[in-house]
Amino acid sequence: MFHSYIENPESCRFEGQNPDEKILLLLRAHPITNIPWIFFSIVFFLVPFLAPRLAHFFGFSLSLIPNTYLIALLIIDYLVVLIIAFEGFLYWYFNVTLITAQKIIDIDFEPVLYKGVDLAPLSKIEETDSKTAGIFGTFFNFGNVAVQTAGATVAIEMRNVPRPAHVADIILDQAGIPHQHVGGP
Amino acid sequence: MPVGVTSLSLITSFITSNYFLIIIKAGILLILVFYAIFALIIIKQVSSMAKTFVTNISPIFSTFAVFNAIFALVLIVLAAGVL
Repeated sequence: MFHSYIENPESCRFEGQNPDEKILLLLRAHPITNIPWIFFSIVFFLVPFLAPRLAHFFGFSLSLIPNTYLIALLIIDYLVVLIIAFEGFLYWYFNVTLITAQKIIDIDFEPVLYKGVDLAPLSKIEETDSKTAGIFGTFFNFGNVAVQTAGATVAIEMRNVPRPAHVADIILDQAGIPHQHVGGP
Repeated sequence: MPVGVTSLSLITSFITSNYFLIIIKAGILLILVFYAIFALIIIKQVSSMAKTFVTNISPIFSTFAVFNAIFALVLIVLAAGVL
């Protein structure tokens, strides 16, 4: 359940799913995009270990502060670590794009309490556009996929999904739009 | 007496004074109150997420969010009492 590219995922469903509707592909941002929040969690985790040395560097001793206060500050620091890690993981885990045999569902959550669900019926899809950019994107093969529907500009944009060209290919296949397949004619 | 030594002794006497500890206590309580409010918002957020995209581990996130909020509220009471 923690992968970013799952074909025919089991034991998951979305709000408003029809009984006969099967999820063909589940997409999340590539795991490498989690590095920023993991980095900040580690930095805050290390703060209590570095604080005495920093204090000493500035000519101040933490022993002047009562232990109960130091423990309280330590707990606050680990609460910050907890919240950074939990929020980071939640946003990665729940920001998904689902492709079914009938439609594409793009679920977006943003801080705080923002929820956006974009739906695009496969019958309305006109074209897809995939882009891979940057060192990480090229190295780990992830990028953005934009789906254009009739009567709209870009209806759905999937960000940092793995194998973007392949995803765009699958969407066109499901929509029944003739196209050149990735990696061959 | 050199100026550096005087300033250092002033800072040290301020840090060891009750005023400094009151300021620290107020700061800690304020942070904990903000954290508790945020923890309560997270409960609502996780509930919304788990309702929109349902997986077999969604209840674990919801339970964790509730325990986090309870812990945050207990911490406020503890900090107010102990500090």
